[in-house]
Amino acid sequence: MTPANAQQVWKAYGPVQALRGVSLSVAAGEVLALLGPNGAGKTTLVRVLVGLLAPDRGEARLFGGDPRDWRRRRFLGVTPQETGFPPTLRVREVVDLVRAHYPRPAERDALLGRFGLADKAGRMTSALSGGERRRLSVLLAFAGNPRLVVLDEPTTGLDVEGRRTLWRAIRAFREEGGAVLLTTHYLEEAEALADRVAILHRGQKLAEGSPEAIKARVGLKRVAFSAPGLPELATAVRIERTGDRYLLYTADADRLVRELVEKGVAFRDLEVSPVRLEEAFLALTGGAA
Amino acid sequence: MTRLVLAHLKSELLALSRMPGFLIPSFVFPGMFFLMFAAPYLRTPEAAVPTTASFMAFAFFTVVFFQYGVGLAQERENPWIPYLRTLPLPAGVRPAAYLLTGLLFALAAALVVAAVAAAATPFGLPAERWPLLLAALVLGAVPHGLMGLTLAYLARPRAALALANLIFLPLSYLGGLWMPPSLLPDWAQRISPWLPTRHWAELVWAAAAGRPWPAASLLALLGYAALFAFVAAWAWRRGRG
Repeated sequence: MTPANAQQVWKAYGPVQALRGVSLSVAAGEVLALLGPNGAGKTTLVRVLVGLLAPDRGEARLFGGDPRDWRRRRFLGVTPQETGFPPTLRVREVVDLVRAHYPRPAERDALLGRFGLADKAGRMTSALSGGERRRLSVLLAFAGNPRLVVLDEPTTGLDVEGRRTLWRAIRAFREEGGAVLLTTHYLEEAEALADRVAILHRGQKLAEGSPEAIKARVGLKRVAFSAPGLPELATAVRIERTGDRYLLYTADADRLVRELVEKGVAFRDLEVSPVRLEEAFLALTGGAA
Repeated sequence: MTRLVLAHLKSELLALSRMPGFLIPSFVFPGMFFLMFAAPYLRTPEAAVPTTASFMAFAFFTVVFFQYGVGLAQERENPWIPYLRTLPLPAGVRPAAYLLTGLLFALAAALVVAAVAAAATPFGLPAERWPLLLAALVLGAVPHGLMGLTLAYLARPRAALALANLIFLPLSYLGGLWMPPSLLPDWAQRISPWLPTRHWAELVWAAAAGRPWPAASLLALLGYAALFAFVAAWAWRRGRG
């Protein structure tokens, strides 16, 4: 039974079309990263898949049924927004409340240990640091021994150590056959964790594939230099020119520079910088809607 | 299902019992007001019983109105609630837990008033009248809880607390929860019979005195309950759409 599946899902908020016919499927034993800039529709798609929103058109399935039926959510774990924990409850009490919903929840102390919160069990959630809140939020997604976890921007605000711990937990969960749907706007995170990456842009799925294939499409570098002119270049995705200053977008900056050298371009003041995902989309779609 | 209601009930009770902003108005104010403004004038059981009973209704009112009114208004903005909706949580569980929480706290707050009255005035009630008094308190709490719910859905969350106070204190005063209506000024006596708090008071006075409940007040409370349920449902739907 496919953990989560969306078929041609459309969803509008008033006049805003958040999703325009998105299909997506997460299989057992895989990590699918949903990648896209802010406002791409990632959150809306997740909300449809976990039963918080009904699609206007199309169909969402969770373990073969309607996600809005609570029985379908017995094997689902979701990260809460870490700003919302009941402030006067202790970590232990919040974990127990969430565990109480599941038929075979994970053991509480094991969970706390796994997410580095063992010594915070008796602390009020309002007294947690930002990183500890983030870890509690991810812990809660795993509290019910789920088969599918949906992690919304899981490592935002985590330090390097926290990020590593979390990545380890996600990989271990996948090894045991768990399915993971994670949203992120960091390409590196998708690269480090995902078996498959789907790119959402303006409510549509722009691309889907292995992290390598996706990186080749949106993991662009910006190469800027001054030169009197340019020959045809095979490795540049997009070329902009202001005076004698060139701005090139490329998936592989090393190859582009080699090509420039081979073709005898007399470049000066070479600068290479990474391109944010938003800009990569703009470069790829020519800035059009 | 029951186990889950209990889990949510436990969380609500724990969370609220650690909030001084909730505890002090609910458990300290009614008893304190009673001691300051009512107790000195209550020299006989005949005077002490009805005033204590209506102060118990005031304590009930505080809990159900603020827990539902202000509490729910604040919950609407809390991202924890949409998270709970992603859990395998049957639809009735949270409302049931929420209702029970309100009821338990309201009972406790009313019993604080009764204890203060027993210590400071000649208040005393035959054992067989207690169940009837508690029933009258719970019944009157229904329209008043629904009034809080209506406020929660109509008002902006930030305005809800101020509005709740603006409605709650005059209603308690004019309804005669703090003193017999015959002691209210003329203008207040003219408004009083129209208010839900007055009908609640009539019910608890009758229950505490061992008289039959006045049918008109019972009907009025049911009417208010229907009215507030209707408006709350309308406001809730409007908020969703």
